[in-house]
Amino acid sequence: MASNVVSAMSRGIAGCHTCGLAVQMPDNTEVECPRCGAEVHYRKHDSINRAWAFLIAAFIMYIPANTEPMMRTTSLGNTSADTIMGGVIYFLSHGDWPLALVIFAASVMLPLLKMIAIAYILILTQRASSERRIERTNLYKIAEILGKWSMLDIFVVGLMAGLVQLGALTTIAPGPACIAFAGVVILTMFAEMAFDPKLIWDKME
Amino acid sequence: MDSLETMDEKQIRFVCHECDALQMVPAVEPGHDANCIRCKSRLFRNPRGGIDKPLAFLIASMFMFVIANVMPIMTLTIVGVKLRTTITGAAYIFYQQGSPELAAIVWLPSVFIPGVIILSLFYVLFSIRFQMNWRYTKPILVLTGRLLPWGMMDVFMLGILVSIVKLVGLADVVIGTGFYAFAFLVVLYASTIASLETHTLWECLTEQQGSPMEPTNG
Repeated sequence: MASNVVSAMSRGIAGCHTCGLAVQMPDNTEVECPRCGAEVHYRKHDSINRAWAFLIAAFIMYIPANTEPMMRTTSLGNTSADTIMGGVIYFLSHGDWPLALVIFAASVMLPLLKMIAIAYILILTQRASSERRIERTNLYKIAEILGKWSMLDIFVVGLMAGLVQLGALTTIAPGPACIAFAGVVILTMFAEMAFDPKLIWDKME
Repeated sequence: MDSLETMDEKQIRFVCHECDALQMVPAVEPGHDANCIRCKSRLFRNPRGGIDKPLAFLIASMFMFVIANVMPIMTLTIVGVKLRTTITGAAYIFYQQGSPELAAIVWLPSVFIPGVIILSLFYVLFSIRFQMNWRYTKPILVLTGRLLPWGMMDVFMLGILVSIVKLVGLADVVIGTGFYAFAFLVVLYASTIASLETHTLWECLTEQQGSPMEPTNG
């Protein structure tokens, strides 16, 4: 069954990336989708290079995101700055391990695992490897779904800084890690969107 | 090979978004999925309840969206000083503090983008359900698809919960109406998205508006 599966590209057909319509392509030129009006192409343009560019930028941002403070709390003249790991350790030392686990998973592990997953998929795709294609496709889909949960800590800082302000003795201000962290999340999302999972299945001979 | 050429009324020619496998997909029973013959990814679903179900969830989401964004999410008391804000209010303070880019990073995925998605989906679903043939249905459906990954109300919900736990150490926290409304909104919005299938919407649109199925050459 699976052996006589043909790719749409080999039959001169492209699935519209926007609405999914199977479009008969005139030749190698790009056409407008007759159904939704978006540009139809066989594969996303320059997919692997663009994905790498976003991914490398995300890797670089991941360093300040973890070493710089995420939040500065000023209470009665005393200022304390917390990195992400600092927050995790704070909750652990207060016995609040479920919360420590949630923050550690969403902010430290998830972005790192997503970047490693995309890098792994990109490397195997560049080698035109035929190994574990279904697993790689699934890995891509999981990375796509879970990525946004890394925004958690930025939302927490945003809410806390916004709430604890007006004339209070305690003030909370965002640290430089916030913007770096948002950068990691947004850039990994761009990397994942730039990559075309159909490339996993192309035989590049 | 031959199966690709046979034209069956109930079958549609489909290209898998994940692996590009070309296949003929037979009609799918309501409540079932069509899966790719090669990579097993879901091609599309045929959700029970057609367009009525997501439309009902969506209308409920619209009301809840207003309440969640107008009512304060919590009230803090720090040494006698009472502080209370909405999500937009919190983002605005962030903006005043001199970090407009961070205010945008918080406000866009939690309020603005979900708001635009809800409104555009309403336009699209209403137009299709009542055969209104509204002019901008197609571009708005395209826009909604592009915005969908950037709406992060569910993540924001978890963010509210984590901040409550963190703030309990600093202040007296009383949960407000906005919090409950936001929690309901997250559930209603997720139900809208879960009962919706883009493929069905495009099929309905094609049927109603009648578009050429083959591109014009050159």
